[in-house]
Amino acid sequence: MTTSGNGADANAADAAADAALPPPEQDEFDRLRNLLFGDELRAAEAARARLTEIERQQRALPDRLPHALEAAGAAPRVAHALAGPVAHALGAAVRENRQVVVDTLFPVIGPLIRKSIAEALRNLVADLNGAIESSFTLRGLKWRLEAWRGGVPYAQVVLKHRLAYRIDHVFLIARDSGLVLRHESAPDLPALDADAIAGMLTAIGDFVGDSVGQGGGSALDSAQVGEYLVWVVQGPRANLACFMRGVPPGGLRSLLEQRLEEIHAQLGDLRLEQAPNDAALATAWHETLQPMALVRAAGIDDGVAAAQRPPSRWPLLLLLLLALAGLVAFFAQRERWDDRIDALRARLQAQPGFVLTGLDAEPWRKVTVRGLLDPDADSLHGILERAELGDAKVDVVGTGYLSTDDAVVARRARRLLALPAGVDSSVHDGVLELKGKAPDAWIALARERAGWVAGVRRVEMAVLPDADPVATAQAELATLAHRLPTLQVPFANDALLAAGGGSVVDDIVDAAKRAQALAAAAHARIAFTSVGSNDEVGTDEANQRVRAMRARWLADTLAARGLDGGGQPIALGEDAANNRRAAYLRLDIEAAK
Amino acid sequence: MSAPAFKVCMLGDFGVGKTSLVARFVRSTFAPKYLTTVGVKVDSKEMLSPQGAPIKFVVWDIAGRSALDALGANYLRGASALLLVADGTREHSLSVALNLLMQSRTALPDAVVALAVNKLDLVERWEVAPTTLAEIRRSLPVFETSALSGDGVEAAFAELATRLLP
Repeated sequence: MTTSGNGADANAADAAADAALPPPEQDEFDRLRNLLFGDELRAAEAARARLTEIERQQRALPDRLPHALEAAGAAPRVAHALAGPVAHALGAAVRENRQVVVDTLFPVIGPLIRKSIAEALRNLVADLNGAIESSFTLRGLKWRLEAWRGGVPYAQVVLKHRLAYRIDHVFLIARDSGLVLRHESAPDLPALDADAIAGMLTAIGDFVGDSVGQGGGSALDSAQVGEYLVWVVQGPRANLACFMRGVPPGGLRSLLEQRLEEIHAQLGDLRLEQAPNDAALATAWHETLQPMALVRAAGIDDGVAAAQRPPSRWPLLLLLLLALAGLVAFFAQRERWDDRIDALRARLQAQPGFVLTGLDAEPWRKVTVRGLLDPDADSLHGILERAELGDAKVDVVGTGYLSTDDAVVARRARRLLALPAGVDSSVHDGVLELKGKAPDAWIALARERAGWVAGVRRVEMAVLPDADPVATAQAELATLAHRLPTLQVPFANDALLAAGGGSVVDDIVDAAKRAQALAAAAHARIAFTSVGSNDEVGTDEANQRVRAMRARWLADTLAARGLDGGGQPIALGEDAANNRRAAYLRLDIEAAK
Repeated sequence: MSAPAFKVCMLGDFGVGKTSLVARFVRSTFAPKYLTTVGVKVDSKEMLSPQGAPIKFVVWDIAGRSALDALGANYLRGASALLLVADGTREHSLSVALNLLMQSRTALPDAVVALAVNKLDLVERWEVAPTTLAEIRRSLPVFETSALSGDGVEAAFAELATRLLP
C-alpha cells in the first residue's frame, strides 16, 4: 500500500482504497485483475478520493477564507502575502472592469476631488484677495512701480511678494496620542516645548473635529494667529504640522502630503512609539522635514532664501544716481557761478576809472574785488548788483589813483573847470575839447586851468565870449534912467492934465516896470522920484506950489497903476529949471553891495 | 537616544486639583487661586524613573468632568497612562474618579492607572475614609498628594514611570 501525504487526508485516501478491494466471492476475472492490477487500482482509487476531497475543500474555501483572514487579524505576514495579489487584482480589475471600479470608488473620489478643488479655489481667492487688498496701499503702489520698472505684469509681482514665506517648525505628530515623532525647526529659533505644542495642537484638532466636524472625518487643516500660520496635514497614523510665517504657496501643502505619505511608507509595521528611536527614520525624516529642505523642494524662495539672495542693487543704484545728480547739480551751480564771475570780471575790467587787480570768489558765499579806483570813476555798485551773485557777500577793496581814461578825464575836467551850461566838453586821447559860449571871465579861467587837469595832454578851446547879463541889464537900466525924464506929462494949468497926457503916463508906467524888472539882473538898487515942473509964468511961490501939486499928482497916478518905490512911496521932487508945465519920473540907480 | 515619551491624561471631577498637580509636577509651582480649565492644557516634563531610566511625560490636563463625553474620550486617545485625581475633602469626587476610570476603560483598556487623592494639606477636613482608600489600593496604586506642598506628586508620576517603562 502506498502512502500519500500526511495527516487526515492520507488516512482518508487509504480507507477509500481498502473499501475498493473485491470480496472473497468475487469472480475469477476480478481476482485475476486484482492480482495483475491491484496496486494500480488502489492507487487510482486513492487518487480519486484525494481529488474528491480537494474539490470539497475548494468548494468550502470561500466560506473558510474570510474566517481565516479574520483569525489572522492584522498580522504583517498576511498583509505582505496579500499585497502583491491584491495589487495585481486591482490592476486587472481596472483594466478589465473599469466601470465597476469607477462606480465603486466614486463615493471616495468625489469628496477627494471636491476637497482638492476647494483647496485650489481657496488659494486662488487668497491670492486674488491679496492682490486686491494691496492695489491701493503704499505697498501696492510700490509693487506697481516695480512691475512698471521691470516690465512685468502687476499680478506677477503681487504673486512674487505674497509667496514670500518662512517655515519655522515642522512637527510629525502621532495621530492618536499627540506625541511628537519628529520635530524640525529653522535655525536660530529659540527652543520650545515641542511635546506640549504637539499635544495642544492635537487637542485643538480633536476639539474642532468634535465640535464642528460632526463626525464626518473633518479635521483641523489650518489655523492662523497673527502672522503665524499652521497647516496640519492628516495621515492615518501620524499628522504633519507646519508652522509658518507669510503666505506659503499652495504647492507646499501638496508637498507636505507627499512627505507624509512617504513617512507612512517608511513607518511600515513599526510601532509609533518606537519611531523616535529609530536612527534610520530619524535621518530620513530630518532630511525630508527640515524647513529649508521643504522650502527648496517647494521650489519657491521663502524669507530664509530671500536672506541668502544677493542684496538688491537698487538701493545702491539709487544712491549712486542721487550722488550723480548731486554732482551734476553741484557742477552746474559751479559753472553758473564761474560764468557770472567771468562776466563780472569782464565788466570790471571794462569799467573806466577802475583797474582790477584781483577778484577772489568763494562760490555763492563771498566775493572780494581788489583794484585801483579813480574818484571820478562811476561807482562799482551798479556792476556788482547786476552780477547776480545771490546771497554772496561782496567786498570792494579799492586804492585811489588817477585814471587817464578819456571818459574819466572828461568827468574830471568838468568837475575841476565847473563848465557853464553853454560849454560842451569831450576828451579824445588826452585832448580836451571845449566848445560853446561862456562869459569872458570863465573863458579866461579855463584857458589858465584846463591844461592842469590830470590826464589832459592838450586843450582845444572853441568857446566864444558870452554877453554879461548884468552889464546888459545895467545898460538897459541906464537907458531907462535917461528916457524916463523925457516922458513928461503935460499940464494945461496947475493940475489939469493936458491932452495926450494919458498916453505919456502909460509909457512912464511901462518904462518904470521894466526898470524894476532889470534891477535884480543888473545887481542894482533903483529909486523913483516924481518930479513936478512949471513954466516961467507966475510967482515963485505959486510955481513951487504948482510943482509940488504936479509931482503929487503923478506919484498918486503911478501908485494907482501899481507902481511903487521899491516898497516905499514914490519920492516927490521939483525941477524949477525945466520951464515946462509938466511932471515926469526920475530913475536913480545905485549899484548893489 | 531621547527619553521615551508617554501621554498621561489627568482625569477627575471639577476642582480636585488636576491643574495644580500638573503645575507642581512640571513647574514646581502652586497658585492658590482657582481657575477652571477650559478644554485641555498640555505640558511636558522629563524625569528619571525610580530605576534611573529617563522618561518624558506629556501631561494632558483635561478639564474637570463628572462623566466622560465624546470630546473627553477623544482627548484620551493614545494615552499610555491615566492619573485619576480625587479631592480628599470631597468623598463624591472619589466616586467620580472611579466612574471616569470605568468609562475610560473602553477607550484605554491597557493604560496604566494611578489614583491621586489630593489636598493632603487639608487632611483634617478629609471625607475619604482610610478604609476606603485601603480597599481601592487592592486594585489601584493610590497616592495621597498635596499640590500645595508637593507631597506625593513625584511619587505618583514615578509609579506611572515604573509601570510604563519595560
